[in-house]
Formats: sequence, structure tokens, C-alpha cells
Amino acid sequence: MKLVRHLWPLLVALMLMYMFHRSWGVIPPLGKLFNPFVGFLQNAEQGSGIRDGEIVLAGLRGAVTVWYDDNAVPHIFAQNDDDLYFAQGYVIAKDRLWQMEFYSLVAAGRLTEVVGPGALEYDRYNRRIGMARTAANITEKLKNDTVANRILTAYAAGVNAYIDQLAARDLPVEYKLLNYKPERWSPYKSILMLMNMRHTLSGGSYDYRLTNVLTEYGPDVMADLFPDYPAIESPIVPQGTPWAFSPLAVPAAPNVVAAPPDTALLAFHVPEPRPEVGSNNWAVGGRKSATGLPILANDPHLQLTLPSIWYQMQLSSPNENVYGVALPGTPAIIIGFNKDVAWGVTNTGSDVMDFYRIRFRDATLRTYWHDGQWKPTTRYIETYRMKDGSKVQDTLYYTHQGPIVYHEKRSTNYSSNIPVGYAMRWIANETDGADLLTFHYLNRATDYEDYRKALTYFTAPAQNFVFSSNGGDIAIVSNGKLPLKWKEQGKYLLDGTLGAHDWQGWIPREQNPGVKNPPRGFVSSANQFPADTTYPYYLDWRFAHSSRAIRINERLDAMMHATADSLRVLQNDNYNVDARRILPRLLTSLALNDSIRQSAEYAALARWNYRNDADAVGASIFENWLDDLLRGIWGDEFPAEKRLLYPSLDRTFELINNEPGAKWFDRVDTPDTIETIDDIVHGSFKTAMAKLRERFGELSARTWAWANVKQTRIAHLVPNFTSFGRKNVLNGGGSGVVNATSRTHGPSWRMVVQLDTDWPVAYGLYPGGQSGNPGSKYYDNMIDRWAAGQLDTLLFMKRVDEQSERLLHRTSLKPKNQ
Amino acid sequence: MLYILILLLGGAFSYFGPWWTIAPVSFVICFCLPQKPSAAFWTSAFAGVTLWVGYSVYLHIGADTDLTARVAGIFTAGVPALADMPAIALVVILATLVVAPVSGFAGLAGVKIRQLIRSSL
Repeated sequence: MKLVRHLWPLLVALMLMYMFHRSWGVIPPLGKLFNPFVGFLQNAEQGSGIRDGEIVLAGLRGAVTVWYDDNAVPHIFAQNDDDLYFAQGYVIAKDRLWQMEFYSLVAAGRLTEVVGPGALEYDRYNRRIGMARTAANITEKLKNDTVANRILTAYAAGVNAYIDQLAARDLPVEYKLLNYKPERWSPYKSILMLMNMRHTLSGGSYDYRLTNVLTEYGPDVMADLFPDYPAIESPIVPQGTPWAFSPLAVPAAPNVVAAPPDTALLAFHVPEPRPEVGSNNWAVGGRKSATGLPILANDPHLQLTLPSIWYQMQLSSPNENVYGVALPGTPAIIIGFNKDVAWGVTNTGSDVMDFYRIRFRDATLRTYWHDGQWKPTTRYIETYRMKDGSKVQDTLYYTHQGPIVYHEKRSTNYSSNIPVGYAMRWIANETDGADLLTFHYLNRATDYEDYRKALTYFTAPAQNFVFSSNGGDIAIVSNGKLPLKWKEQGKYLLDGTLGAHDWQGWIPREQNPGVKNPPRGFVSSANQFPADTTYPYYLDWRFAHSSRAIRINERLDAMMHATADSLRVLQNDNYNVDARRILPRLLTSLALNDSIRQSAEYAALARWNYRNDADAVGASIFENWLDDLLRGIWGDEFPAEKRLLYPSLDRTFELINNEPGAKWFDRVDTPDTIETIDDIVHGSFKTAMAKLRERFGELSARTWAWANVKQTRIAHLVPNFTSFGRKNVLNGGGSGVVNATSRTHGPSWRMVVQLDTDWPVAYGLYPGGQSGNPGSKYYDNMIDRWAAGQLDTLLFMKRVDEQSERLLHRTSLKPKNQ
Repeated sequence: MLYILILLLGGAFSYFGPWWTIAPVSFVICFCLPQKPSAAFWTSAFAGVTLWVGYSVYLHIGADTDLTARVAGIFTAGVPALADMPAIALVVILATLVVAPVSGFAGLAGVKIRQLIRSSL
């Protein structure tokens, strides 16, 4: 009794310490978090948060100087390439450690370890599409590649040098909130980062929905509504460009082209390609530029996040001096320029993800039928660790095509366009090549030949690499491995028992679509068809909607004496080509209805200048109406609940303009009446306006302004951390216009580079900031300038001792024992 | 005296130690300096609160960005009633709720363990 009377305060104290030491569900560890000596307030920075001085690091061979400019962009000067990549890893980790590790956990399917079982289905999906296993295989292969291995190893050593000296108080605040610690970095994790990008850029498929359409309506309707080339297109390789090669024989299409799922297996959902993930790039040649030398521009459109996906930096060694943006966790500059050349990328977006219906011998899934014989599957046991240490196991099967993404009916399957009992052949699981060497060699390229040689290392997914040099060349190539397919191969779910349905090899790399110094004086891409129908190979039946490409090519065609600012203006161009294409016809139809014709909404739409500017009311009306219009036309024949796909915008617009009598305008759910196009136009317009009024009240210039309706937001990578993101970023744009800013996606880096025989002048910025720390003034400092369409002048230093008022801090990294 | 000692030693050790450093500091000081139990509890708690809240407010005021609001926002996201409260107030309250009982009971435990050992001798 006496013991209890004297010991209870101690027990209470220990219990409280335990309670506040750990996290409980979503409640963070309150003790660690709110103790000001180690908690989040240690992340609240005074001033720039960057210190001048010397840091001694084991693993460096020589001294490295890092200058930070007024935008917290590091300019790294190393004496050899190993030190350069070491310092790159160190410097990026300093600003973005939590983010890069988070991405690597996503790609490896390990989020449950830091956020708990809520992420299990997401992790399961990411493991089942094979990313982690492929990353491990690529890493293993690259160990034999002396150049790539040295880069990756040096980079990882740099990241680890940072992690090793990281005190608890200096941990990024997300670690404190989620209560875990960084692991050591490795080359494998850098490859996981690239896998994430492969997934983002090629992780969607229409195959399932399109197969359902084929089953429902047959091949004639398919040919009519889902053609293999749009009515209006402006391809990357200009029409009429001759193909300077003799093509391989294209395999003949087999009799059976699709393997529809058994209805009993209709249990899944597969992500569709995300139309917001796209990009613009172009280069104008000397004939069109004011300087007589090329100017290049690039803006990749990705999900808008904080911390930003990109990180600006300058990398300089005796072998290179390059400026641009890097992906946190990945060595080298991905999009950028040096003294002589500039380059950028957009996603090609060809069909590189196919599904094969697998005929298993029995429920053990050990054997499957292919090309006349039973073949064994490969089995892997996947283990998922939860935050509390418990484990969940799962079996994953591979056929020669690839992983069986789901093989059983489960209501909790995270993602859905993946067929049950279907194996996936996906370009992201290719393990040859060394994507990172493409960037390593582009960083030090001096001319067109260097550029073409650098491209040969790149595997997946194919990117439209735009290029310009101060030698006067401009070029663009849809570069990467492209499967050699029969016409329409993989437009539908494929039959895994037929050898003829396997990918038939590859298009020879030098025969990928591309063009150098075309007569029109510029090159460009906006994810549209790489080539017109004269290209001898089948790439896909559908690419990104052509509206951005059409506008870019019209503007560049008309442009003379172009300056960097002309290209900046084009990056921010809000002209809506779709509105120009169909609004006149739609307005004629609307005017037939008296109540609509007299409405304020009609008047605003009729007055609209087709620009998705921030204050445009017409843009709000048009963009919101378009969804209801599509639903009005297609929703009855292609309902979402039957997992069918709507025909493309291009096909829909053709129908509206040129085939107003088409039967598709008649609603199948009203057998007694025959609706005309006008009925659909009126009905959908009224529905859309009612919804807008419900959300924003009666029409007013302020509340119905496009920026207010669109409400662009830039969210933190952890969805629950809403206060770490930015809401209501007011700007114009739209997914179909050149300034491709939608609610959640947009230009994630805008760059314009004006080459020069002496020294280039470059501009750029991205919607975020260099620091990943929400307590830094460099966390989101570029967002407002980005929203306003401005660009920063980039400080591209010639030498380490260059003087500039913009250089604010100097950090010297010194090798140990010297 | 007790208050000043806990504040000074607690501050010095907290600079290097883990978040719960204040607990052993209060415990040891209250163990070594004879106190009434209630005084040990309240003085330890009050010293702990002074240290944490004082340093928190200092860091908050000195910062160039409002990280306090961002972190507080995570806690108030689902609770609109709390959203109008100044973020630093919420942080002060939470810090107090953590450090006051931890430091207070640790101080009390110091006194009680001392009594236990003395009475057993």
C-alpha cells in the first residue's frame, strides 16, 4: 500500500510521457510536436534559413562551392563529376528530403509504414503493377553500367551525408507530424523516383471501357465514333514531311483483336489516362526569332503540389555547366539548358499499357495457356508492414506479359481499369536502357549530334524531346521505346492465349517520329498525334485533344521576330480553340429558345471573346456547360455505370457541326419522342446554368468569373494537411487551352531559353518554392508570380567567382581529412 | 528557487535532450530539494509551462512565416469552432496540456520517491 502511495506519481508521469511520445491514429505525437526545442517550431525559419559557412562531409573528394541566389536556387560548383552529383544529392536533400522519400515510398508500395492501413489498397495496387520489382531490377542492371552507377552512388552518398548529420530538431516537419524518421537513401530509391514519373505519365488505359463499347455496339460504330485519327489535328511532325527511312514490315492484324471480360469478372476499375497530365514545348528557329538564334520553351503540366515536383538548380563541374529543374531524388537536370543547347519534354502518350486475358489451368494460378502450351507463372510474396509493425502478405503472379494486376474479385481493389485475371504488359516495367543517362548527357551536350546520342539511352515512357542549339538547329523527337504493333493492337483488351497478341518487338529507334529544322521554322508538341496517317506504324488510336496543339502551331506560324517574351505570352495564352470550333453553332441553336435567348447567361456567352481569362464569365459558362452537353449527347448510350467510354471531343464536335441529324442526339431513354441536337443543347444548357446558379448565385461579374469558378488549388502531398496547401489561386487557363491550368493540374515549370553564341538568357519559374519546408519563406513564394503569368530571370553563372547582387549565401562543402 | 532551477536546468538540458527532458529534470530537482508534494507538482508544472510556452512564443514571433498557423490548421481542419482562435493560442494550449502534467507529475514523483526511500531507511 505504501508502495502504491509513493509510486503512483511516477507511474502517471511515465504513462503521460508514453502517451505523448507516440501517435494515436491521426493524432501526431503531441510531446515531440509541441516541445519548442525539438518540435515543429524549430522548422519556423528566420530569414532565408540558409547559412553561410563551411560544412565538412565525408565522401567528398574536393571542395564544392554552393551559392544560393535570391530565390534560394543553389548554384553548385564542383571540381569533378562525382562531387557534383554528391553535392546535388546533399543540396536537394537539405530542401526536399521528406518529399523525395515520400515519393519513393509511394512507388515502392510502402505508404502503410508511415500512414497506416488506410493506404493498404493504394500500396497493393502500386506493388501489383510491378513498380518496385522493376526498380530493383533496373538498379541491379545499372550496377554494370559504370557511368550510371557512379552517378547514382555519388548522389545517394550525398543524400546520406545530409541524413547522417540531421538532428531530430531539424527533421522536416512532416516527419514530426507523421512520427517517423528518414531511411538511408540508395540508387534503388532514385530509380523508384523515375518509376513514379513513368506511372504518372503512362499509368492509364482506355482498353477496358473501349472493349465494352465494342461488345455493346460492334465494329461499325467503333469505326464511326472511335476512329484512329481525329478529324482536326495538327501533328508534331508537320503534315507532308517525308519519312527518310524504309520501315519494317508491320505485323498483320489477327482475326481476333479483343478478349472481352466474362461478365462475372466485371469487378474492377482501371484508371483512365489523365487528360490534365500533358505538356507544351516548342522551339522557334533563327528565321523567326528577333536574335536570329533559336528560342525554346517548355511547360510540363502535372498535378499541382506542395512541395513542388521540380527543384531549380545549376550544376557545374569541369565537364558541364547546366541550369534547369531536377526531380527531387533523381540525379541530373531533367529540363534545362547550358551554354550551347536547351531542351524540354512533353509526354508522347502512345499506347504502352495493354492487358491480356489469361486462361489459367486452375485456381492455383500456377499455369496458364499461351501459344499452344501450358506455361508456369512466376509467384512473388509481397509483405506490407503497417505503422504499428504488423504485417499483411499478398501473392503476386507474373506471366511472360507481366503482372496479373488483380486476379480475384474484391470490392476494395484500389483502382479499376485493371481487369481481373488479366496480365499487364506495360512499358514502365521495361528494365533496359538508362533513362538517367539521357539527362546526364543532355546536360553536357553541345550540338544536335550530342542530343541524338543522349536520346538513345532513354526507355520509357516516350517523351517528345524538343531541342535547340546555338548552332542554329531546332528539333523534336518522340523518343523512347515504342512497341511494334499491328493496327489497333491494344485498342481493346487482348487475348493472352494468342502469341499474335504479344508485342511484336520495337519500332527501330531512328524511325520514331521526329523532325529537324522543318521548313515552317519551328517545332512544337502538346501531346497530340506525333505524326499524321502517313507514318507507317501504329502508335495509338487516341492522343491528347488537339486544341492546344492547334493554337500553338497557329501562333508560331504567324510569329516573326519572336522574343523570349513572345513565347512567355504564348505559354500564358488562354484562347479556347474548342469554343471557336463549336460555339457559333451552339449559339445559333441556343437562340432558337426564347427563354434562353433572353437570359443573362446567353448574353454573357454570346459576348465572350473565347478567352479563358481569369475574369471571363463566358469561360465559366462554356467550360461548365461542356460537361453537361457531353452527358446530354452520350450519357444515354454510353452510361458511366456500364463502364463505357464517351467518344472524343473531336468526334463530338464533328457531329455537332457536320452531322446534326445523327441518331446519337436522340435519347434512347425516351422512346416516344425524337430529340434533336437543339433539344440536347437547350436542355444541357439549362441544367448547367442551374448548377452554376446554385453554386455561385445569380450571374455576376465577380462570382462567375472563371478564376473564381475554376478555383485552382495547390495541395500538399499529404491530403489531410490542407493548411499546408494553397487554395483559390486566381488565374485563367483550362485543360484545353495552352495555359493548361485546371483546378488541380497545370504548368508545373515554365521555362523560356533564348540561346546565344556567347551566353544564353533564360527565364523560368514554377508554382511553389525551392524549400519543402512550410516554415520557410521559400516554400510557396513563386505561386503568385506564376499565377500572374510572370517568369523570373534565371541567374546562370559562368564561373564560381562571378559577382552578382543576387547571390546571397555561400556554403562551402569541404572533404573530411583535408 | 525551485522554479528558477527547473526553468534554467530544464532549458539547458532540453536544448540537447529529447522532448521529455523536462520530466527527469523536475524529478531530480524535486528529489534533491525537499518540498511539499503540492508545491513540487505546481512549481514543476508551472516551470515547465513557462519554459515551453515562453520559447514557443519567442520562436513564433521571430519566424518569417506563419508555420504556427499552418500546423494549427491541421488540428482545426475538422473543427470550425476552433478555426477562429489565433493559431498561437491553440499551440500554447496544447503545449501547456502536454508539459504541465508531465513536468508536474515528474516533480511530484521526485518528492514521493524521496519519501519512500527515507521511510524505508
